[in-house]
Amino acid sequence: MLRLLENQLLKEKVYMRQIAPGLEVFVLPKKGYVKKYVTYATNFGSIDSRFIVEGEDKELSVPDGVAHFLEHKLFEDEDGNVFDRFARLGASSNAFTNFNNTAYLFSCTDHFAECLELLLDFVQTPYFTAESVEKEKGIIEQEIRMYEDNAQWRIFFNLLAAMYKEHPVRVDIAGTAESIRQIDKDVLYKCYRTFYHPSNMALFVVGDVDPGRVFEQVEANISKRNYKELGDIKRIYPNEPLELGQDFVKQELVVSQPLLNLGFKERDLGYQGERLFKKELTTNLVLDVVFGSSSKLYNELYEEGLIDDEFDAGYVAEQDYGHTILGGETVDPDRLLERLTLGIKEAKGSGISEAQFEHYRRKAMGEFLKSFNSLEFIANNFLAYHFRQINFFTYLDVLQSVTLADVNDRLHQHLVEDSMVRSLIMPKKG
Amino acid sequence: MPTYMRSRLANGINLFIHPTVKFKTILVQLIFHRALREDDVTESSLLPSVLQRGSGNYPNRMAIAHRLEELYGTELVSGVTKKGERQLVSFTLDLVHDQYLPGESSLLKKALQVLSDVVTNPVLFDESFKEDYVTQEKEQHEKLIKGLINDKIAYSVERCLQHMCENEPFGVFKYGSVERLKTIDGPSLYHYYRHFLRESPADLHISGDLDLSEVSSLAEQIFTFERGAEEAVAATSVQKKIGDVRYVQEELDVSQGKLVLGYRTGVTCADDDYFPLLVYNGILGSFPHSKLFQNVREKASLAYYTYSRLEKHKGLMLISSGIEVDNYEKALEIINRQLAEMTRGDFTEEDLENTRSGLRNQFLVEEDSQGLVINRVLDDMLVGREENTAQLLKRLAAVTREDVARVSANVCLDTVYFLTKRGGV
Repeated sequence: MLRLLENQLLKEKVYMRQIAPGLEVFVLPKKGYVKKYVTYATNFGSIDSRFIVEGEDKELSVPDGVAHFLEHKLFEDEDGNVFDRFARLGASSNAFTNFNNTAYLFSCTDHFAECLELLLDFVQTPYFTAESVEKEKGIIEQEIRMYEDNAQWRIFFNLLAAMYKEHPVRVDIAGTAESIRQIDKDVLYKCYRTFYHPSNMALFVVGDVDPGRVFEQVEANISKRNYKELGDIKRIYPNEPLELGQDFVKQELVVSQPLLNLGFKERDLGYQGERLFKKELTTNLVLDVVFGSSSKLYNELYEEGLIDDEFDAGYVAEQDYGHTILGGETVDPDRLLERLTLGIKEAKGSGISEAQFEHYRRKAMGEFLKSFNSLEFIANNFLAYHFRQINFFTYLDVLQSVTLADVNDRLHQHLVEDSMVRSLIMPKKG
Repeated sequence: MPTYMRSRLANGINLFIHPTVKFKTILVQLIFHRALREDDVTESSLLPSVLQRGSGNYPNRMAIAHRLEELYGTELVSGVTKKGERQLVSFTLDLVHDQYLPGESSLLKKALQVLSDVVTNPVLFDESFKEDYVTQEKEQHEKLIKGLINDKIAYSVERCLQHMCENEPFGVFKYGSVERLKTIDGPSLYHYYRHFLRESPADLHISGDLDLSEVSSLAEQIFTFERGAEEAVAATSVQKKIGDVRYVQEELDVSQGKLVLGYRTGVTCADDDYFPLLVYNGILGSFPHSKLFQNVREKASLAYYTYSRLEKHKGLMLISSGIEVDNYEKALEIINRQLAEMTRGDFTEEDLENTRSGLRNQFLVEEDSQGLVINRVLDDMLVGREENTAQLLKRLAAVTREDVARVSANVCLDTVYFLTKRGGV
């Protein structure tokens, strides 16, 4: 069945079709664009580290970093390297793994149908050998080492590891040099069998293409593979308590000045779909009012030299976890902490006014419209939201449904000291 | 045929209008050109931050931010980039086209007024910028200069270039130096600013779904500040490597070593041999199918990232790679071997063909980005050439194996920089 989603304000249309046995396919035609961008993603990320493999009854717990490792290895098959085949078509291919999803993508100008076929084929053809798995470990170890020297990355993962006691979001997406040594081809095949079934995946195509032809091609490719229906995937996430693991974490690195991040752990969990989306947009409005670049707090901190223009605040909304993280580089982390804490208290005291609320909503609307220039932004976001049962096209409607009372309630409930973690990076001496 | 309209405003600013219907936004860039010089870059890179602290109509940072948000989250960002031995100081506006905003009109005009106010109508006291704005921005700027070390990949590349070009203007860091910063105050920066505004050659680019005559009269109306005789920017000098390879090691308490190799190619984007050099660089290291990725990463498992890239206005090539410090010799040997293979013409027809296809793809997709379209026109102006995509693709398709061999003969290793752990290798 073909469905059509249209957004009048954006002047964009998305064609959607579910292809047996359950692959969701989306096509957004972008007239006049030379580039075509396609992403093929599975609802499998670094947090899916405990589950029951299809056809077995025992729980499997996999080494940290498996989803990311699998992403690397899918680019190799019996005939060699998949990058080379995209190169022959003048296309460029890539992939990324985050906490929740793994996405394989290409962008091209010519040979679109061949590129699409290649993407569908290589993602559906796992080929892991003991030798190639071993070889990849050196590469991924260097990827991990690169991030070990990256202060922004470290402060972020240190914070999550402190904030969460049990939930696997506390673990680095790529795992560690030690954990990836335990990965072998068997565990990769088990993950593949469980999570790379079409019914756990989605495809997004954006560019100047004909939706009908895309659906036909995808259907032909998928149907010849005789997939069986997949039962429910049994993912096991531990019960994460409301309280923090630790409220403070610190590391020393070679940096020019300290970095401070504050994290606020979500207490109101369990939603998917529109309710989750609304919570996300509401929280981002709150953060913009309190910490945004036209806020009183931001400008005072800037003038005092406590922050620079990279200072930022953002919220992450998932069904089983959620958090706000804010901060940046600072000369004086103690003073910054004190000022931020006071600023939050003052914001709660004065509340958010109707004028502030409308002002930031208007800004959010403009930013959303602007981002639709980017094919990558459209496709990547559409799928990431799709896996949370959210239709990304409803952004402006959901934004309109947020009320002044919503943002004020959220300000009081979310930014509370009991759920606050401090993550600090200090310059290494000598 | 050019896809844009070029004219000159009454005060001498070059106006470029790029009409296109495919984007939701209008992109505006006001660009000032300066010679890249030690006694100029600190001032030119500090200046935009001071200007963004307040203007006649928006007296502080908060007022500017508030006005931009009101204009549906219009962004105004400034930046400095170096193209060869030329420093570009740019102010960029990114705003929603008002055809997507029911009930809204003249958003472009309002945004241009903010831009003009910020750039040409600063908050002044006597013959000086507001002193505390200058003091605070000097502090921020010092942090920016010192903060280079926070990104180890960017740091190692910059350090390699600084060593390699230590006696050339190109070795100058685009944010200047802390020493020079100390000599700047409100009056001195204001004095600099007056010259900067009057004398720097300047371009105004506007891209979007626009009516040409409407936009050009809007620009004419708004950008009326007084200007004088322009100070031309000298051409970038392209030097050949003389003498031995220079080896530099630096120790920091890091987890991963960064190996950066700097080469002189003798060819810039102004030369006929630029396309052969692009293909050379592509076969060697700018794609996943390239020799560096295939050999340093895929075969030897030594690195996660390894690539080569051109500094096309200066005629340089850089190779950058993150490796285990113990693998320094091994990685260097493999990289040198790839260069030797290039010189011998030891690459396949497929390597050549894949690289041509990959580059073709890169040229084509530039048209899907307002920023890249503007950048291409800017580069064309600098090299005195004007080519549309079809002409570029024709030059690319004409590159032969012999052309690649010719440019490879001139690629010469100058500096090997290695950022290593304390205690080193």
